[in-house]
Amino acid sequence: MRYYVTVGAQTFEVELGAEGMRVDGRAAEATLAHADGTPVRGLAVGVETYRLVAERGARGRWKLHLRGRALEVDVLDERTKAIRDMTGAGVGTLGPRPIVAPMPGMVVKVEVAEGDVVQAGQGIVIVEAMKMENELRALGPGRVSRVHVRRGQAVEKDQVLVDLESIEEAR
Amino acid sequence: MIRSVLVANRGEIALRIIRAARERGIRSVAVYSAPDRMAPHVLEADEAYPIGPAPASESYLRGDVLIDVAKRAGAEAIHPGYGFLSERAGFARAVEEAGLCFIGPTADTIAAMGDKTEARRRMAAAGVPIVPGMTDAVVDAAAARRAAQEIGYPVLLKASAGGGGKGMRVVREPSGVERAYDAASREALTAFGDGRVYLERYVERPRHIEIQVFGDAHGNVVHLGERECSVQRRHQKLIEEAPSPVLTPAEREAMGTAAVRAAAAVDYRGAGTVEFLYRGGEFFFLEMNTRLQVEHPVTELVTGIDLVDLQFRVASGEPLGFARADVRMTGHAIECRITSEDPYGGFLPSTGRISHLEIPAGPGVRWDGGIQRGQEITLHYDPLLAKLIVSAPNRATAVTRMARALDELLVVGVETSASYLRSVMDEPDFRAGDLSIAYVEEHPDLLRADLGEQELVAAALAGALLEEEHRERHRAPRIASSQTGMSAWRAAAGPWREDE
Repeated sequence: MRYYVTVGAQTFEVELGAEGMRVDGRAAEATLAHADGTPVRGLAVGVETYRLVAERGARGRWKLHLRGRALEVDVLDERTKAIRDMTGAGVGTLGPRPIVAPMPGMVVKVEVAEGDVVQAGQGIVIVEAMKMENELRALGPGRVSRVHVRRGQAVEKDQVLVDLESIEEAR
Repeated sequence: MIRSVLVANRGEIALRIIRAARERGIRSVAVYSAPDRMAPHVLEADEAYPIGPAPASESYLRGDVLIDVAKRAGAEAIHPGYGFLSERAGFARAVEEAGLCFIGPTADTIAAMGDKTEARRRMAAAGVPIVPGMTDAVVDAAAARRAAQEIGYPVLLKASAGGGGKGMRVVREPSGVERAYDAASREALTAFGDGRVYLERYVERPRHIEIQVFGDAHGNVVHLGERECSVQRRHQKLIEEAPSPVLTPAEREAMGTAAVRAAAAVDYRGAGTVEFLYRGGEFFFLEMNTRLQVEHPVTELVTGIDLVDLQFRVASGEPLGFARADVRMTGHAIECRITSEDPYGGFLPSTGRISHLEIPAGPGVRWDGGIQRGQEITLHYDPLLAKLIVSAPNRATAVTRMARALDELLVVGVETSASYLRSVMDEPDFRAGDLSIAYVEEHPDLLRADLGEQELVAAALAGALLEEEHRERHRAPRIASSQTGMSAWRAAAGPWREDE
């Protein structure tokens, strides 16, 4: 099976076949072992050894703990990659993204009203968590189509606070 | 010597105090909120008492309940640790009035240093250099603007009752004052119950260097050298070290003498820290923390003095028993704060259950932790999970030792600052000791996990192997059940169930 593995900004083509493994066409040798009763695995790449703990997220996304680093890798098989490349999914959605609570907290201030035109980087909502205020800003320009929260309201992680629409859409 | 102590705290600092008590033969009494029933500080103490539900305001901040528990448990003293009630003059007074010993300075000292404008006034009077600015809080945003005009931009808005970066804002031009005033005042009100704000000159790119002082009940005050804590984010320290990579012996003694003068001006008793902003040989009094500091271990490692033990002895009425000339600083120590914050997600707090934990060890490594496997990390308390501290004969060796120790650390189940701290250990400016409190903002590249080519390939191979293994396991049961039915499915499921 051929996989496309993205680590940070780099994507590697990893082939796991009966005749051996290849990374970007170069021959490689790697094995995974498992320590009983723990989530710890031993990864051997040739003679290099690593202690590894892996957690699986959604759709081929893995979180790896390796040599003091916690990193996320995306693993796609050939077919899924082809479909994604064709549809452009994952490249970015159309229109401005909604403002979402990054953690549970409390709304301290809503800095916009419905209908406001906002610029990239403009403060939209201030959420307090752990006694620190965090200002959530617009990632791109847009118009505020809906404000879902008010001052003093408790919010959950990933809750949509403010919806934005593209300025063209609003016209 | 006191024979028993109630530890009015949780997490790593509660455990630190309990350890010191155990070594001294002092009976330790822990307290806990409902979710902390199985926390390490509870399990390690001699006795433990429940004090309320999860929110700190209903448990660890309930001074009346803590004093009541101390009396019931027959504890002679209360150690407040840091945070929570450690710098509340009212609590210190209530403890003394209940006939118990408060491990820390007197209520009057805490009150004098706790009010930041009052502290500035006193320090200026005692001849300690202070940052140019106001000695009084402003009444509103308009007054803040007038004051800013007088001091000159950039200015720093600070909470009168504050500390720890809460209620602080930098303002570079008049148009920003109102917004910053509102935010700082609001934040100060939530954090400290006091929305008063004052202004001072903002010293650009200073270092944060602080002096550890210790006083006894007999009028002696000694300093134990400095700690440099310049690597911080939004005024929250991330990395601390001793000694500072830049102080000359003469500067050290000048700052130390100023710190001792500051402490003596408020009749200081116990462990305290005088914080300074340092830039190019100049230093300004920032504030005094009238308690044990989070980063106290780096001072312990270079001086060989157990600061918590010394707190117990001083609280028992013993004299310090040494002078400045007796304090020998050897080697170099670095501390990294391991917090449940996601460095790649804007350092936002992360929650979850610690499913696996591997603690670094080996030569020169110390772990002051308050976590264990299975523990739930919530938003109720400070995100500090543990402190990883190393010591070595010199700074360069200490940095590589810290890198090695961070490579060994494994915290699974909650995001931590560890990856970020590991990247700092490789960064040239940090390695050269070229630091300022703007270090984190000036090194945005560190916010991307950096790996060598070898490790990238290893991660890629691991990803492919894990995905393949996962798919095989999920494919197998369907084939098995279609051929031989349910019992085969169970048999096949057995060996890998623990993994899913």
